Amino acid sequence: MRSLVAALLLAAAGICPAAAAETAAAWGIEQLMQNLGQVKSARGKFVERKTLAILNAPLDASGTLIYTAPGRLEKHTLLPKPEILVLAQDKLSIEYKDRNQRRTLALQEYPVIWAFVESIRSTLAGDLQTLRRFYGTSLEGSEEQWRLSLIPAEPKMRTVVKEINIGGRGNRIRTIEIIEAEGDRSVMTITEDAS
Amino acid sequence: MTAYPSSRWVIAAWLAAVLLCVAVIGRTQFSADLSAFLPRVPTPVQEVLVQQLRDGVVSRLILIGIEGGAPAALAQTSTRLAAELRKQHEIFAAINNGEETGLARDREFLWNNRYLLSPAVSAGHFSSAALRVALEENLQLLGSPAGVLVRRILPNDPSGELMRLVEQFEGLARPDARDGVWFSKDGRRALLVAQTRAAGYDIDAQERALALIQGAYLNAADAGVRAEQKLLASGPGVFAVTTRATIKADALRFSVIATTLVAALLLALYRSPRALLLGLLPVASGALAGVAAVSLGFGAVHGITLGFGVTLIGEAVDYAIYLFTQITPGTTPAETLARMWPTLRLGLLTSICGFAAMLLSGFPGLAQLGLFSIAGLVTAVAVTRYVLPVLLPPGFSVHAAAGLAPRVASIVRRAPVLRDPLLAVTVLAVLFLAAQRGPVWSDELASLSPIAAGDRLLDEQLRRDVGAPDVRHLVVVNAQDQETALAASEKISVILHRSVQQGLVEGFESPAFYLPSLASQRARQAAIPEPPVLRENLLEAQRGLPFLSGLFEPFLRDAAAARVQPLLNSASLQGTGLALKLDSLLVKRHGEGAAGWTAMLPLRGVTDAAAIGREMALLPDQQAMLVDLKHESDALYQTYRREIITYSLLGAGAIVLLLLVSLRSPRRVLDVLAPLAAAVVITFSLLVLSGDPLSIFHLVGLLLVVAIGSNYALFFERQAASAGERERTLVSLLFANVTTMLGFGLLAFSKVPVLHAIGSAVGIGAILSLAFSAILITRATVPDRPAIT
Repeated sequence: MRSLVAALLLAAAGICPAAAAETAAAWGIEQLMQNLGQVKSARGKFVERKTLAILNAPLDASGTLIYTAPGRLEKHTLLPKPEILVLAQDKLSIEYKDRNQRRTLALQEYPVIWAFVESIRSTLAGDLQTLRRFYGTSLEGSEEQWRLSLIPAEPKMRTVVKEINIGGRGNRIRTIEIIEAEGDRSVMTITEDAS
Repeated sequence: MTAYPSSRWVIAAWLAAVLLCVAVIGRTQFSADLSAFLPRVPTPVQEVLVQQLRDGVVSRLILIGIEGGAPAALAQTSTRLAAELRKQHEIFAAINNGEETGLARDREFLWNNRYLLSPAVSAGHFSSAALRVALEENLQLLGSPAGVLVRRILPNDPSGELMRLVEQFEGLARPDARDGVWFSKDGRRALLVAQTRAAGYDIDAQERALALIQGAYLNAADAGVRAEQKLLASGPGVFAVTTRATIKADALRFSVIATTLVAALLLALYRSPRALLLGLLPVASGALAGVAAVSLGFGAVHGITLGFGVTLIGEAVDYAIYLFTQITPGTTPAETLARMWPTLRLGLLTSICGFAAMLLSGFPGLAQLGLFSIAGLVTAVAVTRYVLPVLLPPGFSVHAAAGLAPRVASIVRRAPVLRDPLLAVTVLAVLFLAAQRGPVWSDELASLSPIAAGDRLLDEQLRRDVGAPDVRHLVVVNAQDQETALAASEKISVILHRSVQQGLVEGFESPAFYLPSLASQRARQAAIPEPPVLRENLLEAQRGLPFLSGLFEPFLRDAAAARVQPLLNSASLQGTGLALKLDSLLVKRHGEGAAGWTAMLPLRGVTDAAAIGREMALLPDQQAMLVDLKHESDALYQTYRREIITYSLLGAGAIVLLLLVSLRSPRRVLDVLAPLAAAVVITFSLLVLSGDPLSIFHLVGLLLVVAIGSNYALFFERQAASAGERERTLVSLLFANVTTMLGFGLLAFSKVPVLHAIGSAVGIGAILSLAFSAILITRATVPDRPAIT
């Protein structure tokens, strides 16, 4: 997949573990998850392009991603319109500052959205158990350049999402590609935040 | 007094009365309706609520929990149990355990009727400007994870009506889900909610439903997991079933135990089976008369009233004991009766004063107990007075009394030594009671409920798990018909929406969410532009946005159809979970003069009830009112506690007055009352010390202590013609006391709170009354005054 091309690292604010190199021989999904799980917080810029069948032009968005272990993920979209998305515990809230609107979804009630957000959050948290509750996993590549493919475990979810590919290097995630069952597709590229 | 009616006629009249009672009882309905021990409700609002408790949707819910073992196994049991129960269409109207099966029809209903249901559909809602805003918002939503939700429905619903409807129901608490079924927050208990077709007060039907659930559970739970899994059930119907079973078991068990013990005691005392049978005649007659009187007076007899019959055994058997034990050898029963009649009669009258306080109380259940006791005691005394003398063999006398008498007399002679210690203890008890800072009386209406505390706790837990909100505040509106009630709900909704925005309340529910008034539905149809106009507006709105052309054809089709679709009525909701909701929020009132419809809008997270109440008051010509159930029930409880205290004081006053008139000496009245007062004070202190919160029923128990204890005090105080007669009197009092203790004391072990409270109060109080009479009444031992006549 071409989605693994130029991508920068999602910077880890915590100390980068040196353990990864030492156990190169045993590198596999457990090791990858353990490495990811050691990141306590991270911040990065994202660019996202969505191609939807019902639209005649792709949707582009960009902004900042903030992750705090173990399970809080914030997505601050700046363009084209400000939007703040916060995933904390079992709630997903979407806030539209420009029209003073806020929506909170209990993930329990929206299993599809839950599966979606958990693909990213569980990967960030290195929570293999939760990840495998929703997806079948397969890992390719090396510690330096890996690609994690997720196939939904639930047949119902498979009617919505075909697969999710997460690419990264070491303990940083660089791309997230979502291929939907009806041909819709989105690619998010994460770059290190200089600040 | 001396002229007895012809003995044959007495027996005939008695037998006829017994037969009459049996005939009445044969036609009597026996109930275990829990609301009998709730106060009669004075306001129409409360009447609606009690009706809801009796046969509303709330009364039909059975909350089921399965706990123990692994969550996956619990989820499997839940799924299988639900499937088994869903087969029982004629018993259960709905089974909900969080599985999708239940929700699909709800969603379908909301989706198909979104343009009639959505409150946002009004003039201008489909103008090009409004549509433009909606499309832009959709575009943004498509970019977020929530986009998956709207992507598929967008072509049909660009103005987002479904989202709006779903949001209306959001915030309504729902249980957590695991493995596709409902679970408690801690994940240790799988949850199901069953709704029976039968009303909560239909105990036979509820019992069948409960048995079905238990049977289905045994089929659903694998043999492997059954050892660790446990089935729990709660709800009004379950309470009714278990309460009836407890009452049945208690009434039967305590009647048998009390009868056996009393019979054994009497047999030991009389040494004659014939005397034993005769001694039980007044009790049996009294019990029959009591049940028959309640049946005639109330139309039905509550199970608890029967349970209370045990106490009648304890008290009514006293009369025969007094008679049998006090017959002096060589005198006839008639002569003995003539001698003791004034005291017996006065004792009966004081007891009636006590029970009359119960008869007048606002609790139908308590009033039944009062009537039962009064009718029973009067009958028992009448049988003792008129029937027993005829049936007693000539020369009848109790021998055991002779042997025991001197010992009892010697104890009683020495008892006054304890006078000063008793006075000290009484003073201490008074000080102890005066020093009580915390609440001695339970302030909850729940303390009156016949439901055991453990069951209530389980119910609270399950209710919390299921997320059934503690409905505390709700707006209630009464109307002539369903349409008016719904229209009123819509007007109230507008105000409540404003209150939500002002932060006065977090959210609310309205029956019009599920079924809008016909007027609103018509207005919404009229707000949808004609198809060509709508198409024009849409094209205009879509200009410059990246939506595919022709994408919204399904919307144009659906909107055109909605303009002419048949309007919704309550039948349209049939088969959805929403129908249950509607049924619980929109209720048809029965009853003369009150027929009509009541709509209820439960509020959640109320922060400023007063402000909302003021808003409701501003509504023109509507009977909308904000009800605070907690406040209402507390107020109700306090009213009834005041009432009971008033009646108790009146009863006590009547007893004092009665004694004054009969004894014609304030000093003698004081003699009689002193031991009673000490007994009441010390019994009260002991009850407080026991740590149980005291309810109105304990108060009634204390009143009974006065009523029953006055018998002892009167006999103690009575002048005896001779030392022998006094000894026999003392023995009769001792046995009478033991039987009373057996009757009431046994009730203290009952699991039914009413019976437990009255039983423990009277059990303790009766023995104290006798002991204190022996200690405090000292002047009557010598016959220095003429006996009362």
